[in-house]
Amino acid sequence: MNRSVKRGAIRAARMTTLYIMVIGVAMIILFPIFFLVSLSLMSGYESYYEWPNPLIPAFSAKYKLEKSDEGYHLSIYNKAEKRYERFGPEKFGTTAEDLEKISVFVKRQGNSTLKTERLKEEISRLVDRDEVFFSLSKNLLANYKVFFQVTRDAVPSVIRSIYTALTTIAISLIIGGMAGYAFARYIFKGRNLLKLSVLFVRMFPGVAIAIPMVIILGRIGLYDQPLGLSLIYSVTQISLTIWITASIFMAIPVELEEAALIFGTTKFGAFWHVTIPLALPGLAACAMYSFIGSWNEVIQAVVLTQFNPTFPVVVYKVLVGAGAQVNLITAGSIAQAFPAVLFTLLIRKYILRMWGGVRV
Amino acid sequence: MFKLLYSREFRQKAVPYLLIAPVLIYYALFWLYPVIQCFAGSFRDVNNKLTLYNYAFIFKDPTFYKALFNTAFIVVFSVTLEFLAAFGLALIINIKFKGSGIFLFIAMIPMALPAVAVGAIWSSGFATYGWLNSFLYYLGFIEKTAKIPFLAGGNVASMILIIIIDAWQVVPFMMIILLAGMQGLDEEAKEAGYIFGGTKFTVLRKITIPLLKPTITTALILRIISAIQIWLIIVMIYGFQRLPVLLEELVYYVDESHSMEFFRIGIAYSVIISIFVSIAAVIYLKVTGAFGKEAEETA
Amino acid sequence: MKKLLSILLILMVSSTVAVFAVGQYEEGVGKRTVVFDSRLWTPPHEQEYVINEVLVPFGRENNCIVSFSIIDDDTLLKRAKLQKETNNVTTDLVIAYCARFNDWVKGGYIEDLTSYVRSWTDRSFAPGINSMAVINGRQYFIPIASDVYLLCANKKALKYLPAGADVQDLTWEEFADWAVAMARGEGEGKVAVTGVPEKALIYQVGGIALSYGAGFPDVSSSGAVKAWEIMVKMRNAFTPTVMTYDSLVAPMKRGEAWLTWAHVANVGEIYGSNPAQYVIAPVPGGPAGKGSIAGTQGFAIPKGSPNKDLAVKLIEYITRPGMMLKIAKGAGGWIPPVSEAVAMLGDTTQDEVIKKAIDVMDHGKLSFIPPAYTGGGNWGKIKHVYDDIANKFLESGRVDTGYLRTMQNKIEGYK
Repeated sequence: MNRSVKRGAIRAARMTTLYIMVIGVAMIILFPIFFLVSLSLMSGYESYYEWPNPLIPAFSAKYKLEKSDEGYHLSIYNKAEKRYERFGPEKFGTTAEDLEKISVFVKRQGNSTLKTERLKEEISRLVDRDEVFFSLSKNLLANYKVFFQVTRDAVPSVIRSIYTALTTIAISLIIGGMAGYAFARYIFKGRNLLKLSVLFVRMFPGVAIAIPMVIILGRIGLYDQPLGLSLIYSVTQISLTIWITASIFMAIPVELEEAALIFGTTKFGAFWHVTIPLALPGLAACAMYSFIGSWNEVIQAVVLTQFNPTFPVVVYKVLVGAGAQVNLITAGSIAQAFPAVLFTLLIRKYILRMWGGVRV
Repeated sequence: MFKLLYSREFRQKAVPYLLIAPVLIYYALFWLYPVIQCFAGSFRDVNNKLTLYNYAFIFKDPTFYKALFNTAFIVVFSVTLEFLAAFGLALIINIKFKGSGIFLFIAMIPMALPAVAVGAIWSSGFATYGWLNSFLYYLGFIEKTAKIPFLAGGNVASMILIIIIDAWQVVPFMMIILLAGMQGLDEEAKEAGYIFGGTKFTVLRKITIPLLKPTITTALILRIISAIQIWLIIVMIYGFQRLPVLLEELVYYVDESHSMEFFRIGIAYSVIISIFVSIAAVIYLKVTGAFGKEAEETA
Repeated sequence: MKKLLSILLILMVSSTVAVFAVGQYEEGVGKRTVVFDSRLWTPPHEQEYVINEVLVPFGRENNCIVSFSIIDDDTLLKRAKLQKETNNVTTDLVIAYCARFNDWVKGGYIEDLTSYVRSWTDRSFAPGINSMAVINGRQYFIPIASDVYLLCANKKALKYLPAGADVQDLTWEEFADWAVAMARGEGEGKVAVTGVPEKALIYQVGGIALSYGAGFPDVSSSGAVKAWEIMVKMRNAFTPTVMTYDSLVAPMKRGEAWLTWAHVANVGEIYGSNPAQYVIAPVPGGPAGKGSIAGTQGFAIPKGSPNKDLAVKLIEYITRPGMMLKIAKGAGGWIPPVSEAVAMLGDTTQDEVIKKAIDVMDHGKLSFIPPAYTGGGNWGKIKHVYDDIANKFLESGRVDTGYLRTMQNKIEGYK
């Protein structure tokens, strides 16, 4: 009795340590991502003019409107400095042009809507006093809105990207998986050399041959086509796939296949019904790497597409000029990352499928 | 002739070659020609005359040695650190616990992020007025006036930053390869180990690791190769030639300048890098015994 | 596993269908499409403005569609090479930066536009600016937006301004004193330059040198030595992380740096993010005047462009003085290279940045990026010479004139 209590306590302690570790690691991973998301919801003013940076984006902002001999002045409440600071032009008048300018500025830098009517109304309150305060709600998704307004052809480019990624998976899994199986299961002359030369494809820096490779593709008429891109992406993915699948197939006991053969299945049947399910986690991992690699690739895709850009190319074209607008960059990159993260979520199940024992 | 083709023996022998043939054809079509061109081009000068100038230029350039040292430093430390972290995590996650699915998903997010996101996270994070200092300030570790200038450190400090960023992104990559290998492992072998009185540690050392060896070899070799080729994040944070590593130099010469002379130097770099990587890989594979005699390998 | 496979299969089939359907649909529109790739108007709101206010009306007038993309110089060149070598030119019009002009010409990628420019009599391109666009006596490029350097200071920096100095009319000595006083007062340096190699340092130091009567690119004449001495004087006045800046916009916006002199588009971006917080002014000067390097962006038409006629029309349309004025006001940040437009703009603009930039353009001591030095990637190497010198001098704290002479020889070697 006493002993089992003790064992239970040890187990509880062990599980607690495990959870503390797991949660700690998860926090380390999530922490920068938290800021990524948080930045994408901030206005330009919040992300650059408030230090310490707010941890959580504000939902509204407080403004102050003043009147002086020179004209009107707008200020915004700076949460870090805990005071109102001038926001926008030093001063402005009541001409339509000036009011419009303020409205655009508040939209661009403050992510809030301040219609000129509203501004006029606030100005009219200044008759008997020198300053008025008002608060505007902040459009949390404003950066995403700006991003998609400038992004043209987002939908077709996403479709092209999905197509490119899936063809890359198909090519590299089929061609690479076959070779991986051969390396794992057969003894033959030149095996080591071949396996090493396959690896050499990954060792050779791709940047140096990117342009010649692209030119070959252009010559065979695959310029500006999603299929051409997946052929290029597959080059590095295949060698990765070969090595991963080879190691996975190696870890699966060949006896299982032989047993299936004894029960009268064909060699292919044994492979399909016994080995593939066992190797699924590895195959799923390969598929995921191919997907991510192809989905995020932009350097070659920019050169290789013109009328048919993939989604990362479209994102690049929007963000290349937004170097110092981190709020916009984060929004765009989250938009780009979203499908890839979704895909990992989908495929994660298969990587973990065989938990708690092998199901044949 | 026919008889030979249909003989069982021939078919047995031909199968592996047939399975590998598509890969070879694929590489011959898309990859081999540019690479040969690259090798040949690295021995030619701007006027296409044979020369060793490109190599001489590199070996005379002090930046090359700096890049070599930095690359070696990054590879050794990042691979060691990342492997230990990934292996530990894979062991942890391989124990069934509630929420392991969510944990795996979280671990995979950094890997799925595009380079522009990773650059944005860390360049705005490590900036003196960035979010990391803000966070430290909220936690009370630093004063408002004493922000840490993370990026102002010397060579080694900069490399440590790069290693941390890289680890954050690729530890999950290694963990997943290892995890996939662990799940194919024979549970019975482990159980037998425990039955014969093995402790957790001895089972790990004597059974799990040897059984997992092909996977570990794969994970490590892939990692070493890509660690040698880290460059984008360095350029995103420090720009070209501030923290030189081999591949960054290559990209600098091939991509950043549009002169033929520099392009040739760049491709000479690619040859040098691929030779270094090959040597590292072959030594590694020999030492770990991944390449035994072909005949002796178990099928 | 079957579920996964079927999901993937369905996705694959449907995306294949969709890819081809989209392709068909776009071809079916029937209007000609002018492909226009630019490294100008990169900020998202400028892109939006140019598309909606300039390109869409042009398309309506000429019954065509202008497909406008932002692409950086390197990629533009790579793509030009690819399209030329595979004999499949699909780009109709590009905008490139002047430091790259020579690479375009040497690669044989672009058309000679001399005859077209001569026929446009209602506009005159500013001669200094245009000198960069003419290579080997031919007009390969047509200037579209030129730039100079401006001073930009956070208002918090003003309290350290030396007594009697006018921020709108500083000398470089006063600027250095200001920077040093600020570093002393704040406990850390607050001045920014682009410390990352091959960015803008060459223009920043080059501008100081011009103010003291040096040429450009020139690192060793007495004027240039004076410029290095001013840099060395400020060596402790730069921000601690200055060596990692590839652009000055983010550090200035964050408040990490308070004082800089930068490219007009960068100053425009800093200032535009909160005008009330900054002071902008012409660059400081010296005995020879307010030195600034001027650059330009230029249109070019790739050889073999399928819609060359429309591309020429589009260049003509955009460089009309009235249109230049409209773009300068709407998209901002750049000075039109057309004299007629500058004259109109000078009187009417409310925009502080453009006003100051035109002031520098009209009264400053300008030098241009000389085409003779920019061929075959040499400009990058020359930029690097400036970076190396700065690195060495800022570390050691003294100016070594012997070293400068060897470096000048190195520069001359790239000519």
